[in-house]
Order: sequence, then structure tokens, then C-alpha cells
Amino acid sequence: MKETLTAYFNRSAESPAIQTKRIGKYGIFLAFILLCILLSLMTPRFLTVANLTIIVTQVSINALLAFGVTFVILTGGIDLSLGSMVAVTGVVAATFAHPDDYPLLVPIGVGLLAGVIFGALNGFVITRSRVAPFIVTLGTMTIGRGLALIISKGRPISNLSDSFNFIGGGHLFGIPFPIVILLIAFAVCSLILRKTILGRYIYAIGGNEQAARASGIQVSRVKMWVYTISGLLAAVAGIVLTSRITTGQPNAGVGFELSAIAAAIIGGTSTSGGSGTMAGTLIGALLIGVISNGLDLLNVTSYYQQVVMGAIIIGAVVLDGLNKKSS
Amino acid sequence: MKSASSSILQATILFLGLYLSGCNQSGGDGAGGKDKIVVGVSMLSMQNEFIVNVADEIEKKAEEMGVELITVDAERSPLKQIEQVESFIAQDVDVIIMNPCEVEASSPAVTKALAAKVPIINVNSATSSNPTAFVGSDDVESGRIAMEYIAKRLGGKGNVIMIHGYMGQAAQLQREQGAREVLKKYPGLKLIAHQSGEWDRAKAMSLTENWIQSYGGQINAIFAHNDEMGMGAVKALSDAGMKDKVVVVSVDAIPDALQAVQKGTLDATVFQNAEQQGSKAIETAVKIVKGQPFDAQTLVPFQLVTKENVGQYIK
Repeated sequence: MKETLTAYFNRSAESPAIQTKRIGKYGIFLAFILLCILLSLMTPRFLTVANLTIIVTQVSINALLAFGVTFVILTGGIDLSLGSMVAVTGVVAATFAHPDDYPLLVPIGVGLLAGVIFGALNGFVITRSRVAPFIVTLGTMTIGRGLALIISKGRPISNLSDSFNFIGGGHLFGIPFPIVILLIAFAVCSLILRKTILGRYIYAIGGNEQAARASGIQVSRVKMWVYTISGLLAAVAGIVLTSRITTGQPNAGVGFELSAIAAAIIGGTSTSGGSGTMAGTLIGALLIGVISNGLDLLNVTSYYQQVVMGAIIIGAVVLDGLNKKSS
Repeated sequence: MKSASSSILQATILFLGLYLSGCNQSGGDGAGGKDKIVVGVSMLSMQNEFIVNVADEIEKKAEEMGVELITVDAERSPLKQIEQVESFIAQDVDVIIMNPCEVEASSPAVTKALAAKVPIINVNSATSSNPTAFVGSDDVESGRIAMEYIAKRLGGKGNVIMIHGYMGQAAQLQREQGAREVLKKYPGLKLIAHQSGEWDRAKAMSLTENWIQSYGGQINAIFAHNDEMGMGAVKALSDAGMKDKVVVVSVDAIPDALQAVQKGTLDATVFQNAEQQGSKAIETAVKIVKGQPFDAQTLVPFQLVTKENVGQYIK
């Protein structure tokens, strides 16, 4: 009965379905452009080099997390521990970043290592225990927050060196350094996804895990990679954030996982895995940033911003659903 | 799908088990030796530096006075706080010190304690039901002091921006009220924008960056409801090379902010005395238990900290 119904809808709605598919694919990009045009008509202060630079700088942290979680979602998983990883890696890095304590590479290295370990642990528990990633990362989210508070003794860690503060506040050839990091991360992540075997395996697992396993892909190993990459990118985000606000905050990053997941989903990453791109995720993150910046410029209270954001997330998933029905 | 739902069930059972065993344990311990005075302490959030300072001071003073403490963290949840107070009552503590999460929502905790004849002291912020005693500072005053300083620095004329804490919290409401009282007194001061920075440095920094885009040189002063957000505003202004032209004032006097005042990047902060709030709270608690006379309301005054007097606040 169910099958015949689906077949019926597929047959009868073929041409509109193809249309929605096209809208689904480019819709988010069109929506983004449209929003930018709208905002530049509403306020002359939106479309300036200075303002656009600020938007991308503000977006960089969320985008880094969103890149990581895109890998995870592509395999059909989820990572709720992103925000806590930002806090842990941030306070770890800050602990080693006081002036004249260690060379700059130490706080960066230790911070990144903390993220890698945390992410690998997520992957290890998920692949070994077969407990749903949602539950495992919900647990590690709480563990991470606790660790961040333990390491920092519940207080922000301040007095960081100038060289460390360059990461989030400095400029390279006039470009804010977080943007440089964002661009490098985007290039590397796109490359991994599009040009490497790992990328192909990630799509294969998300498309059909059993088929992927049957065709000889070591699913557990790929998943380990995916969560570790997510941890590494969360560490990069944590270091950038800590440097940007020049303190390691144990309560930083609360709720960041939700914005990151939202960016990936708005950008067209399928919630059930298997389809999505890094470019889409980047646009998703930019869209969120533009909305929040634009509404700030227009002096709209943040209450409305939340309503708008929620509506956009639902809209994106609905589009994704239409998309899947048509293909 | 089946495996997912069964693992959710597993997790729920596990959490429940842990939760119940945890409750039993604390129930057993608290009622132990009855010769010492036992004080139940429920704090708003041990993730907040100021609150941690108050709790530390309560602990230090309690040790000096030979009082036994049971300190718990409400993690900003009024519901959790009510449950904690209920558990204090069940454990038969002598007195409760509560640092309320919310004005209205934490009120039932006060009513319940009083109904069970357990005296309760509110520290740092108020509830709508009256406790046995209150120890804290009048937050309206902090907003007033901060805005008065801005008015003085600007000569009563200029454009002001306000960065709120979490909307609806007692500290946010009262600091805003104090600031607005002063704004009304000076018609030359205009509030050109105000938004919630949710007590968060990064959030306040982004807000300020966006305001610099929309108002630029028109901004003369920023009042942030806490130092974390004040520091975020300072960072954004410094990055834009505008700090010299904008007066920034915030509240709390956390170590970071005191250093910034000394360096001259933050113009002023308003000192809220965590140590005195903590020690007065436990002193009042002990007086109540011993049946000695006590003050039903102890107000610890705020103090304006500028470059001139910052030295005496830095430890």
C-alpha cells in the first residue's frame, strides 16, 4: 500500500518534483543573494567592505564547527559535543598561552591535540558501543563542559600573550586572520570530501551503510576519522574564539553545536546522511551571520532573530525532504 | 531504529539510577552529626566567576566559624533550585542560604522552607516572597552609578548604547532601571541602541562590531551590564581604533576588568563586593540559628572603580 502510494506521487508529480529539486539545490544560494540585496536596500551600511569583513570574521567560528559536523552528518551521525569541545580546547590552549611562558606553537599544539583526543574518543565510543551518536555526544557534551570548568577552576583564564591574541585579532595582508583560517579550512575540507577516498567512503556510508560495509569499506575506521576531524576543527574554533576574546572561558560555546548543525542543514546537508557539500555549509553559515548582522544594523531585537532563524532551519529541511522525494 | 530507541531507554534508566542513588547518598550524609550547625547552600551557577567568589567566601567563613556546609549548584535552573531546597528541608538542615536563580520562579523555595520552619537567607539577588533575611546589593544602584559616571564624562550630552544581560533576570532588569533613571535626568543623553549580550564577551563583541558599522563616530559611550560584556565592547572598539573616543563602563569588577581599568582601556567598573556578601550571609545564618538578633536586610554598597582608585581593588 505504502509503496504504491509513493509510486503514485512520484509519477503524478514528476515535473514539479524536478523543479523543486532544482530549487533545493540552488535555493539556499539564491536565498542568500536575495537576502543580501534586500539588506543593502534597507540600510546603506550593509554593503560595505568593512561590514562584510566583520560578518565573515564573526561567521568563521561557526563555519569551522559546521565544516566538522558536515562530515559527521554526511555519515548519518551527529556531534552534540562541539560547543563543549570549543570550551575545553579554549581553556587548555589559554592555560599555556600566558606571555613569556611557552612559544606560540605550544598552546596551539596542545589545544589542537585536546580536540583530536576528544573527537577520537567520541568516535571510539560510537563505533565500539554501537550506542547512537546522539546519546554518546550528548554525554560527552556534559563531560566536556565539566572538564572545561575543572581545568579553569570555574574562572576565565586571562592575560594571554600578544602572539596568541594575533590568531583571532590579527591581520594578514589586511585580511583578519580568522578569515584566513576559515578559507584554508574550507579548501582542505572540500578537498577531503571531493578528491580523496575518505570523502568517497563518507558519502557511501551516509548513502547506505550496509551496502558500504558489504563492498568492503571499513565503516568504523571512517567514522573514527570523521569524529576526529570534527574534534580537530572544534579545537581550531576554540583557539580562534579564545584568542578573539583574549580569554579562555569555561562557559564559552554553549549552544554552538546547534548553530553549526543549523548551518550544515540550511546549506543542504541531508539529515539522514549521504548528500551535502562544504560550499553549501559555508553558505549556510554565512546566511546565519548575515541575518544576525543585518538585524543588528536595523536595530531589531535579538528575539526576532531567533524566530527568523528557526523558520529558516525548518524551511531548509522541508526543501531537503521535497528534494529526496523527487530523486 | 529499534537499536536507537532501546539505547535511549538504556540511557534513561542509567540516568535515573544515578540520580536516585545520588539523592539517597546526600540524604544520608547531611543529617549526620547534629552538634555542628548545618547550612544548606544553593548557588545560582558555579560557572559564573562572581558567584564562585561569593561561594568561596561562604566556605572560608564557614570553616572559620566551625559550621558544616552542604553546597549545591542550581545550574541556573529555578526548578532544580526548588528541588535542592526541598532536599535540604528533608535533610533537616538548620538554615538555608539561597542565591536565587529568578525573582518569581525561585520564590516557591522560600515559601517551602518557611512553611517547614527552616530559616532561609537570600544572598546576592531577591525573590518575590520575603525570606528570613536578605544579604546583597541593590542592583538598581549599580546601574545608576555607571550611568552617572557616563553623564559626568560626557558633560550630560551624547549618544549612549546599553548592552543588557539576559533579558528578564533580576540583575538585568535592575541595572537597566538604574541606568534609565539617570538617562531621564539628562535629556541631552540619548540611548541610540540597546541589545542583549547575554552576559557573554564574544556576543557583546559582535554586537559592538555591528554597531560600529551602523553608528560609527556617533557612539559616545557604552554601558554594559557586566564586565565580561564590557571587555567585549572594549575589544571591538580597540580593534576599530575607536576606544579613545568612546567611554565604556560595566559592572562587577572582575580581575580582568580591574586590569583593563588600570591600563585605561576600560574607563570604569562598578565593584560589587562578593566577599562581603558571602561572609555577611553566613554570619547572618549563624546568628539566626543561635537565636541572636540579626538584620533582616544587609545591603552591601557598590563602589565606582576608576583609574584613580583601582589600586586598592587589585589583589
